[in-house]
Amino acid sequence: MLSFASQIEQLTSAEKMAAIRVQTLGTFQVWREEELISTKEWGRDKTIQLFQFFVTARHRHALHKEKIIDRIWEDVEGKSADQTFKVALHGVNKALEPNRKSRTEARFIKRQGITYQLNQKEVWIDVNALEDYIKIGNLAHLDEPKIAIQAYQKALTLYEGMYLPNRLYEDWSSEERERIQVLTLGALITLGELIVEENPMESIRLSQQALLIDHSWEDAYRLQMQAYLQKGNRPMAIKTYQQCQKVLDEEFGIAPLPETKQLFRQIQQR
Amino acid sequence: MANKKEETASFVVRFTQKIFQSEEGEAQVQWRGNIRHVQGGDEQRFSEFNNAVEFIKTKLADLTQKAVEDKPLEEQKGILSKSFDLWRKMAKDTPKMVVDTIKDPMKQISNVQSQVQDQISQVKDNITQTFEEKIGKNLEIDEWRGTTKSDYKNMMGLMEKMAEEISRLNDKVDELSKKI
Repeated sequence: MLSFASQIEQLTSAEKMAAIRVQTLGTFQVWREEELISTKEWGRDKTIQLFQFFVTARHRHALHKEKIIDRIWEDVEGKSADQTFKVALHGVNKALEPNRKSRTEARFIKRQGITYQLNQKEVWIDVNALEDYIKIGNLAHLDEPKIAIQAYQKALTLYEGMYLPNRLYEDWSSEERERIQVLTLGALITLGELIVEENPMESIRLSQQALLIDHSWEDAYRLQMQAYLQKGNRPMAIKTYQQCQKVLDEEFGIAPLPETKQLFRQIQQR
Repeated sequence: MANKKEETASFVVRFTQKIFQSEEGEAQVQWRGNIRHVQGGDEQRFSEFNNAVEFIKTKLADLTQKAVEDKPLEEQKGILSKSFDLWRKMAKDTPKMVVDTIKDPMKQISNVQSQVQDQISQVKDNITQTFEEKIGKNLEIDEWRGTTKSDYKNMMGLMEKMAEEISRLNDKVDELSKKI
């Protein structure tokens, strides 16, 4: 089995080698080789929507045409649904492979009868890479903390914001958005804890990033308190605790955990 | 008539479990929840599940109201009231175990444990019965128990002693062999 360091290298080079690169975090962009696919090339929004759905449902094997239509275009029915799908699929294939000869098989959207699937072997997707880096970080966490730090940093560089922000109100994208958000929160806190002694300022930044995702994430407040304590900034550590206390009370009607209270007492005693 | 999208309300619910020791040293479990209405984008945090139910109820009422706003006022009231009744029934019938687990996880764990215990007792009774049938006498199965940590420690101690004895015996045999 490859070492964790080699796995990181492999993931990094996979991004460079990929024929199609997809960014879903913070904004939606797709590169064909090194060229960004323009809005004009995508054409209609339904084309983008269909491709985004293929990306979101990438772990599900063989998606039936009817199911796809039902999930993303609830209002379209009957013959019009078939036509909408056909046009959108043509748009996707044209945007990804503008020079493909007619009647040849599409390279990135695989078709088997009436089922379709994204060819993940040839498409690099930021959320896949983010998850893989976090996986390496979690596995290396105990025995190889330096590698874990590197892996988490790589993952978090990819997190430029929420998953497909332009589909925030679409049912089909919610599950993936939530999953990625929770994964990212975990990585932010774990990385922040790993580096708090040597780089408390970066831990503060990471905790702030976590609080931007969820301002009631208590672990982030605790990390920030630890980082300020490490820096010797007692007033800010106290202020962070007070903010945590206020948010938890307002949002849940609860007090901070004993662990957080104990850290606060430690700060007071210094 | 409302289009399909206006007929749908989706919710993403996140539960975060916190297990900690209270300042009195007692083990505690806490659930922190976050519910988001997908189509509207509003979200609310809760530590009592009832608040999440209330949030859903409000969003469903909005959905119904929006769907019937072109109807006469009396009809609107009637539909809205039916919608509330349906939701009340659904919320009431939500699998009791899920709601109970959120309210009191320890009690639910204890319920599950006693169910498992009942199953074990039943299996134990069946085994005892089968053994009794085979060997024709009562088995004191209650006296049987799994290996405890102290049993394991005792066994390891005995094995170490045996290994030492064997090594000493080997040395003696070697010495005797040399003399011969």
